[in-house]
Amino acid sequence: MYINKLNTHIIPFKFEYHAPKSVEEAVELLSRYGEEASILAGGTDLLVKMKQRVIEPKHIIDIKRIKDLTGIREEEDGIHIGAATKLRTLERSKLIEEKLPVLHEAVITMGSVQIRNMATIGGNLCNASPSADAATPLLALNAEAKIVGSEGERIIPLEEFFIGPGKTALKPDEMLAEVISPYLPENAGTSFMKIGWTDFDIATVNLAVILKLEGEVVDECRIALGGCAPTPIRVHKAEEFLRGKKLTDEVLEEAANIVSGHVRPRARWRRAPPEYRRAVSRALTIDALTIARKRIEGLEVNRGED
Amino acid sequence: MMAQGFRLIGESTPRMDGIAKVTGQEVYSSDIHFPNMLHARVLKSPYPHARVKRIDVSEAEKLGAIVVTYREVPDVVYCPRLVSTPEATYKDWRVLTGRPLYVGDPIAAVAAESEEMAQRALEAIDVEFEVLEPSFDPLDSMRPEKTSIHERIMYMGKEIKIENNIACTMEIEQGDVEKGFSEADVVLEREYRTNRRYHCQLEPKTAVVRPEPDGGVTIWTTTQSIHNTRLLIHEIFGIPAGKINVVKTALGGAFGSSIQTNIVVPIAVALALKAHKPVRLAYTREEDLHEHCSYQMIFNLKLGAKRDGKLTAGSLEAILDIGAHQIQAYPLLGCLVGWWVSLYKLPNLRYVGKAVYTNKVPSCAMRGFGNPQITWAVESMMDELAEELGIDPVEFKLLNHVGLGDLFWGQGPTVKSIIKSSGVEEIVRRGAKLIGWDKRPKPGEQRGRYRRGIGFGRGFHTSSAGGPVPGTAVDYTGAMLKVNEDGSFDYITALMDCGGGTLTAHAKIIAEEIGVPLECINIVRSDTQTTLYDVCTHASRGVYAGGMAALQVAREVKRKLLELAARVLDAYPHALKIRPDEERSQGVIYVEGVEGREITIGELASMARHKNWGTIAAVASVRQGSCPPHFTAYFVEVEVDTETGKVRPIRVVAGADVGSVINPKLAEGQIHGGFAMGWSMAILEDTPYDPENGDLMNRGFINNYKLPTPADLVPPDRFTVFFANTYEPTGPLGAKGIGEGALNPVAGAVANAIYNAIGIRFYELPITPIKILKALREREGG
Repeated sequence: MYINKLNTHIIPFKFEYHAPKSVEEAVELLSRYGEEASILAGGTDLLVKMKQRVIEPKHIIDIKRIKDLTGIREEEDGIHIGAATKLRTLERSKLIEEKLPVLHEAVITMGSVQIRNMATIGGNLCNASPSADAATPLLALNAEAKIVGSEGERIIPLEEFFIGPGKTALKPDEMLAEVISPYLPENAGTSFMKIGWTDFDIATVNLAVILKLEGEVVDECRIALGGCAPTPIRVHKAEEFLRGKKLTDEVLEEAANIVSGHVRPRARWRRAPPEYRRAVSRALTIDALTIARKRIEGLEVNRGED
Repeated sequence: MMAQGFRLIGESTPRMDGIAKVTGQEVYSSDIHFPNMLHARVLKSPYPHARVKRIDVSEAEKLGAIVVTYREVPDVVYCPRLVSTPEATYKDWRVLTGRPLYVGDPIAAVAAESEEMAQRALEAIDVEFEVLEPSFDPLDSMRPEKTSIHERIMYMGKEIKIENNIACTMEIEQGDVEKGFSEADVVLEREYRTNRRYHCQLEPKTAVVRPEPDGGVTIWTTTQSIHNTRLLIHEIFGIPAGKINVVKTALGGAFGSSIQTNIVVPIAVALALKAHKPVRLAYTREEDLHEHCSYQMIFNLKLGAKRDGKLTAGSLEAILDIGAHQIQAYPLLGCLVGWWVSLYKLPNLRYVGKAVYTNKVPSCAMRGFGNPQITWAVESMMDELAEELGIDPVEFKLLNHVGLGDLFWGQGPTVKSIIKSSGVEEIVRRGAKLIGWDKRPKPGEQRGRYRRGIGFGRGFHTSSAGGPVPGTAVDYTGAMLKVNEDGSFDYITALMDCGGGTLTAHAKIIAEEIGVPLECINIVRSDTQTTLYDVCTHASRGVYAGGMAALQVAREVKRKLLELAARVLDAYPHALKIRPDEERSQGVIYVEGVEGREITIGELASMARHKNWGTIAAVASVRQGSCPPHFTAYFVEVEVDTETGKVRPIRVVAGADVGSVINPKLAEGQIHGGFAMGWSMAILEDTPYDPENGDLMNRGFINNYKLPTPADLVPPDRFTVFFANTYEPTGPLGAKGIGEGALNPVAGAVANAIYNAIGIRFYELPITPIKILKALREREGG
């Protein structure tokens, strides 16, 4: 009788609402209620899931009032972004636009302005969609996740944060507190690419590239791919292949082939078959590398607009 | 002939409901609230085809809810759409059902003090089903061994048997088709398959029903026809029509999905009668997506032409997947052949149309009523045929098009009339010039990743379903106009404004005709008890048919005003004129050429009161004697990304012949909206089914039903709209319709543009990036 439960309008079940003022308080609530609790930040994913009855949490822990969880800070080790920072804040941040342009490029494609006014960076990561648009640029940036729980704090690479569709490395009594992104290497060029069916759409495939050249040769390249596997992934094989090579057409093609070889079909893929994702991940790899190189060279990037 | 000498017609004026709408103050059905009002929820079938073996509502009632099941509603089989005469109406609906025919079919309903409580009560209902074999494809559904979806339905008061799940059929033959094809130098035959689209009107279906002390009900609902809603509730519940009052309430769009009375209305009536309290039933978006969709069609189309470009014959076999019920399948079979034969002259033709039941959401009219579907197929084939013949598609289509003086099949074989105005040549030639048609690339010759192409599609739609003889479509309307004592006017019509600014157009026609400022005209919020009958706002008839009634009452009121003014001014009525006085927001009646001999309409109306002359008013019930086509032509430039299959619109040139243009900005808006909808039909929208559970693949979630956003479309500076210089002699002040013609040729133009860019034709909609990429790869491989 699922059809009689599915809607995006009514939440008929009861839950208790908590609004902790500090991270400690939030962690305490989490350790008390464990898997019966859900964290509410922007709510753009959580409320939909509750209305769709995918989850029926008995406790909602609203972290929006915790000051320590919002804001963008420049530190020595990189840029620290509070988990409850709104996408719109990132979009409007000059710091993000200048220092982490690949993240900025992704954020502006996420949903509509109304969504970005609500949705948070931590929410996007913790929702752990395989095609989460904030995940690929942060993976390419070698970002880390600062996690707090009843046993204290731990920092793990974001690559270890995603463990499956909708699944993260967070334990029931833990929450994401911060994302820490190291600065880009000097003179690096970046690019974020995405294919969806419409402008506001979630990505069918997305891809982020960070490229550093030594002369004409690739000094370092990082590639992250979304929508092609159970989690967003780094494509280390392609990165290793590119190191020390000139970005000739043949090299680009081969790198693209390696990336598309990482498409791992999932049974629930209804939006597009694996062949399509392979073809598109290939095209996006070439596009993203080409654009990143142009940006290093200070050339204007033209995406087919007239 | 072009409209000339108008003051208001042809000028862009703000729509009269604009401020209320953009400031959120407009009241829609779901905004209606009453003290003690209950909120309703509907229990739906989780199976595409089943029989209810047992239903237990006791737990829901223990929670305090009012419950009705299929056993308690009147045992009446009906058709929710009352636009056609009984000869063209098949009935197979019940308010609630114990034999659900699609996932989402309503079985029972509950009402409680809040939506949340109603939802909990709903989930407490226990139902046991016997699951039956479903059919999801019309071709499969027609196989003799398949389980019947409806064994028997009602027609003209009698039961009729349904064979092979074929709901109804129509066959038409004219001339000698075989001879016609044998005379042709080139014959093409193709199968086309359209998509099944959701209307996605802004406002989901809603009904608020208040039981009245006299045993009647008052209804606020999403409808395109308040009078047909009243008639249907009368038919089902037997309440005297005079005690059923349906209130005109702002409608948040419909695109055809409220031509029929939506199922929420009789369900809410049943609950309100049982509860003796007002009941509000507002569907969620997910429920709305399970309530209606467009007709999916499979065409086998064959056209033959001689080397000189003249068409010799055509044949069309159409199979319509109508879903689980008939809303207007038979009238559609008629319209479909009408749309087909009214595009291009076919000296010999054969048509076979079959409407087939499947266990899916019932299909209903959606902007264009089958015209966008068949025009896509015909415009695709005409493009292909032109190439085979080596003739420019523009010339080929102009040579064969149905135009001025030709017989037009308007709304099908029972609604024929002669075309009295046509701007086809003008819009096609000018459009071709504006887009640079002569410079377009040769199909498939481009190399490189991004390939651009230009496509051309033309079409039409009727304006109303009027005709010289009655036919099987009801089409008439009514209007009342009275002069208020301050010189303003109350305009009363049952005709619904679906959001296109139709009633503002009526007000402009009245103000233009009488000669008063537009703001003098007050559009009355009325209801079925205080209006004359209007059939429905559909078939692009709001301005053409409704506007004619407005014009007639305006003329009558003007005649009366001049007669009374003649007494006062001591002049002859025919010597009097009316001019608008914008400062006084008044019309002034004056004697031409004699200075100082004048009176404002307010002074006259006030005098009429003091002298007991009575109210200056007029009433008219009007049927239009034809349903003239309004024509459109689209030239679309697209860019195909051959690495991702994504298609981007680059430029659009759209020409429209709508007769006199009443409100240019709104008319342009219709073209922009029509393009957006057609673009989406061509490349994006569909509601596929999950064969495992028989539900929609997206389960009703709008986040998995994509529509183009402004960023996916063409910015205004690359979108040219122009109108033909035409005047429709049968229209109000020369006007025709626009709403549906604005959409009909778009998918054809887009498909032809994609072909022009990459040299591949697609015979199935939507033409998604996945299909494009697959086709490109297959061509490379082969």
